[in-house]
Amino acid sequence: MSFRKRNIGLSAGVDRATIPNASAQPASLESGPGIRPSPDDGRPTTSTGAPSLDSLLAGHAGLPLGKLLLIEENGTTDFAGALLRYYAAEGVVQEQQIHVVGVPEQWGRSLPGLIGTAESLEKKSDRRKDDKMKIAWRYERLGEFGAGIAGSRGAPAPAPAGEQDTTAKPAFCHAFDLTKRLTHPGITNMSFIPLVPSRGSPFGSILQKLQAAISSSAPNSVHRIVIPSLLNPTMYPPDACQPEYVLQFFHSLRALMSAYATRVTAMITIPLSLFPRSSGLTRWIELLSDGVIELCPFPHSADAVATSGAATSVEEPPQGMLKTHRLPVLHERGGGSDQNVGQDWAFILSRRRFEIKPFSLPPAEGDTEAQDASAPGGMPKKSDLEF
Amino acid sequence: MPSQPPLPPLLTPYLSTQPESSLTLISSILGATSNWLVLRFLHAALGASSSSNASFGLDELPNGIKRKVVLVSFLRGWEFWRAEAKRLGLDLARLADKHQFAFVDGLSELFTSADAAPIAPSTNTGGAVRISLPLRSQPGAVPGRGPPSTVRAGRSANGEGSQREPGIAKKLHFSGHGVASLDAMEKDIISVIDQQKTSMEDGDELILVIDQPDFLLAATGASMGIGATEMAEWVTGLQQHVHATVLTMAADSPLIHNASTAGNQLSTPIETEHAAFAIGMAHRARSVMQLRTLETGAARDVSGVLRISRGGGWTAEAKDILVERELLYYIQRDGGVRAFGRGES
Repeated sequence: MSFRKRNIGLSAGVDRATIPNASAQPASLESGPGIRPSPDDGRPTTSTGAPSLDSLLAGHAGLPLGKLLLIEENGTTDFAGALLRYYAAEGVVQEQQIHVVGVPEQWGRSLPGLIGTAESLEKKSDRRKDDKMKIAWRYERLGEFGAGIAGSRGAPAPAPAGEQDTTAKPAFCHAFDLTKRLTHPGITNMSFIPLVPSRGSPFGSILQKLQAAISSSAPNSVHRIVIPSLLNPTMYPPDACQPEYVLQFFHSLRALMSAYATRVTAMITIPLSLFPRSSGLTRWIELLSDGVIELCPFPHSADAVATSGAATSVEEPPQGMLKTHRLPVLHERGGGSDQNVGQDWAFILSRRRFEIKPFSLPPAEGDTEAQDASAPGGMPKKSDLEF
Repeated sequence: MPSQPPLPPLLTPYLSTQPESSLTLISSILGATSNWLVLRFLHAALGASSSSNASFGLDELPNGIKRKVVLVSFLRGWEFWRAEAKRLGLDLARLADKHQFAFVDGLSELFTSADAAPIAPSTNTGGAVRISLPLRSQPGAVPGRGPPSTVRAGRSANGEGSQREPGIAKKLHFSGHGVASLDAMEKDIISVIDQQKTSMEDGDELILVIDQPDFLLAATGASMGIGATEMAEWVTGLQQHVHATVLTMAADSPLIHNASTAGNQLSTPIETEHAAFAIGMAHRARSVMQLRTLETGAARDVSGVLRISRGGGWTAEAKDILVERELLYYIQRDGGVRAFGRGES
């Protein structure tokens, strides 16, 4: 230690973000709009448009570039479609290029309207949480621990949040309102790739167009590939679900994304009622995806407040369960060590947000104290800890 | 948590001894992938020569036998393997330069044509019969570099190299129909194997690792004239050229159990063919390493279960010591792996 000057305090210059990744990506990529390094290993990530989905993705606090996220949905609801719209809208706002496959341009006009950054929405709800009575703070802290590393980005400690405000850093994730329509100059960056009836694979022309669009674009542009309701028979020809067509398409998509690993992300939804998870084809599609998330909406969420696990009467009841079968990067490395894996998640889609939180069965009727205690809260304030 | 040795001690005996012409089958599922284990195989074979400090006495081979590895990967690209191996302290780019390692890329151009311009129309091979195999200009050559390659190798692997995609010995292409297309790929892989063999001495061992050949079966299927039998023969054809073979395969229950007619749902060809291929391989394998998640749900300190069992190809008279056992493993955030028995930690 003799080489260190005594009178200079330990600097914060040894920032934690850069130490774990000696093999960091070039800085130019990280500074693109809507792209930030992962707090886990520094790889560039981009937002899915839903902050709670971002924080679910294995500690990367976003979807790592070059990764493909598959969202499966049971039943006839379209929660996955809402997630996909958030994803596309976030891309529009960040001025990334969006490629939408298989749907007409109407789809692009139904993107949710921008109402600000995700943090501005977060603050409002934080205030609401503070109002709530706190019981058994020490258990609450356990809840925070369960939320884990991924949550740490979502709910930043007060000091860094203040810093961000002063430097006016461009927002990573925005909040959208499903009842409004997005108007943003970046919306012209959307391109729609129709399904062309053809002999042979219906995906051949899609791949060509994707490849042509990405390879001919500026070298620092970032792309999002959006494929709503893949293999849905109202859009896709009957032979599209032949394994050789769809699996080769996924493989080629994987190849495309690994070739442009720092510029492309993709999100694909698939209706599980038509292609159940117990079928070999769906399993191969999952194996070829980097992340697999399954949505299981509750059958009658509107009238089932009492039974569907609302932790308090203030909170909205969850509309369904969310299962993570595979998470990007984590499972590629072997998986399993993330705290978010294997937990039961519930999702709530409201007008302004798609929220994912731990699912818990409600305690017995009238046991409201226990319910309050089980509500996931932020870090306990300092005043809460002192007696 | 303390950093782990690259090879978990409990696994070392299984990773480092590969008898002649043996087949090791690694089966994985959606939530328990096999990449980390493949990397441990690579490290067991190449690690001793790669790391100058041979402090891990375990992976040093007696009487100076050198090992080489040819890795054929259908689902993951070179960048992934290179980056993950680096976390283990294995510089694959440098090993490729030293002709100890060769990577055969089955991802990037398998189903798209190999025309030089990426904008060129890439016809998907949906039944189109292309007779001639699109050959690259440098068949099978590890991109040659001058003698001072040790300095340049690390740099060029980062993408700025003048050579096209250093480190990749060959890219596989699937074209045509049925057995002929498999044969063409087999020829490509064998050319890489032969390339490696030219610098081998007597007693050196060449290990072939094929990452998920079952994808090839799933993505082509009966309509393109490829079934479980053809795939099994394809693997046999490759096995003949190498000392030992390691295969990884998906063994998710829809892919294995749907095939039986006991259930009341009809099985599709993709399921029956996969099950036939996987089970056939397990019968031929000397050992089967089965990766799966915990039956009791996810745990914070366990990533999954590794079961090592004797396959159908294990023979008692060969004095082959292979202890069957079941281990838990945990992959840390830094990439280190701990393997331990149930109840231990």
